[in-house]
Amino acid sequence: MMVKHKSFILSFAVVAALVLSLGLSARSAAAAVPAEQYITDNIQKGLTILNNAQLSKEQRKTEFQGFLLGITDINVIARYTLGQYRRSASPEDLTAFDAAFKDYAMAVYQSYFTKYSGQTLKVTGSYALTADETVVKAATVDPKKPGAKPFEVNFRVQNTGSRQVVVDFSVEGVWIRELERNDFTSYLGQHNGDVKALIAMLKAKAAQSK
Amino acid sequence: MRNLVLLVLLGLVAAGCAAGPEPRDPYEATNRTVFDFNMTVDRLALRPTAERYNAYVPEWARDGVHNALDTLQQPVVFANDVLQGAPSRAGETAARFLTNATLGVGGLVDVASRVGFAGHEEDFGQTLAVWGVDEGPFVMLPFLGPSNPRDAVGLGVDVALDPTNYIRVKRHVFWSGVHLYGKVLDARSRNLEVLDGIERDSLDFYATVRSLYRQHRASEVRNGMPAPAEPPLTE
Repeated sequence: MMVKHKSFILSFAVVAALVLSLGLSARSAAAAVPAEQYITDNIQKGLTILNNAQLSKEQRKTEFQGFLLGITDINVIARYTLGQYRRSASPEDLTAFDAAFKDYAMAVYQSYFTKYSGQTLKVTGSYALTADETVVKAATVDPKKPGAKPFEVNFRVQNTGSRQVVVDFSVEGVWIRELERNDFTSYLGQHNGDVKALIAMLKAKAAQSK
Repeated sequence: MRNLVLLVLLGLVAAGCAAGPEPRDPYEATNRTVFDFNMTVDRLALRPTAERYNAYVPEWARDGVHNALDTLQQPVVFANDVLQGAPSRAGETAARFLTNATLGVGGLVDVASRVGFAGHEEDFGQTLAVWGVDEGPFVMLPFLGPSNPRDAVGLGVDVALDPTNYIRVKRHVFWSGVHLYGKVLDARSRNLEVLDGIERDSLDFYATVRSLYRQHRASEVRNGMPAPAEPPLTE
């Protein structure tokens, strides 16, 4: 089972890197569902940034970070990861946490995308979760190993009325927001719910990943 | 099989008073101790071996080993497809096995995926879940990693279902050891960097591994279909 688990960790991490780096290729046919089209379009945008040879490494990172922040609601994700500790946190701590989480997420995601930007991803379908939310399904494609088993990637897209945003994604059934929530709340549980300690830890991790 | 069940029961009894804050992980304190042990084994034995394997064995050879191990696993997948009442998936598995075992030079080359017989995972833990057996509490097994009573029992049944384990008695232990070692080495060598990355980025690596395992297993049981209820946006 450790074997299987580790094999899955490999799958998850590699595909998470793919998703976060958006080293993706869009489905050629136009997507009928707006959320599918939204993901397909952003796959192309991500590719454009990653393949822009005129940008320096740092410029590419900065531009890609701006791109990621533009398509995700990072605050919704951040607040979810606090779990029950969100209720007891002060407004100041919440604000500081949002900022620390954003830096942490971007640093972690960037460290992945620099390693796995050569992979591709195509949108394969979608299903409605609620009236405002759609899960867009996609699958990985490895250009070097076309026969390799694809990994299933889902994007949870929320329509806010004025725009669409990604509020979560999963790789092989593992939702990143739930994963981070388990990580953070476990840490908080061992530190008497001290959000300041969590913020400090996130900053340290972000600095470590840069 | 008997030893495995005993191991699980022993772990549960030993950890009986160590309830943690996570409802599905009532034996967290003991699980964390076992996790630390597993990580030590990894640092001292698995990781160094996997690093040498990657350094000295070319990628095409490692892919061949991986494909062969996958082919050897297909009879177990097939049996569980049948037990779950999934004839079309069982047919796909049988086709995959036959294709790779013949055209794939004894399983060394994954021809099946290229001709449309994509592989999928099935095991007796998933079969029990399909039959309605609850996963039970999370447990961290020595050497074997994250699990639960349902999946641990399933693992034992899968060993019994594996026809390669019935090769002549004198060679049984030898073969089982090589087979298991091959699986461990293959899996570990393929995730050296990414496992380091997950550990580095986690605040609590144990909690992250627990969440990874539980979410992924639930998805495997559903065969990738949507969950009845996705996690809510707010707590």
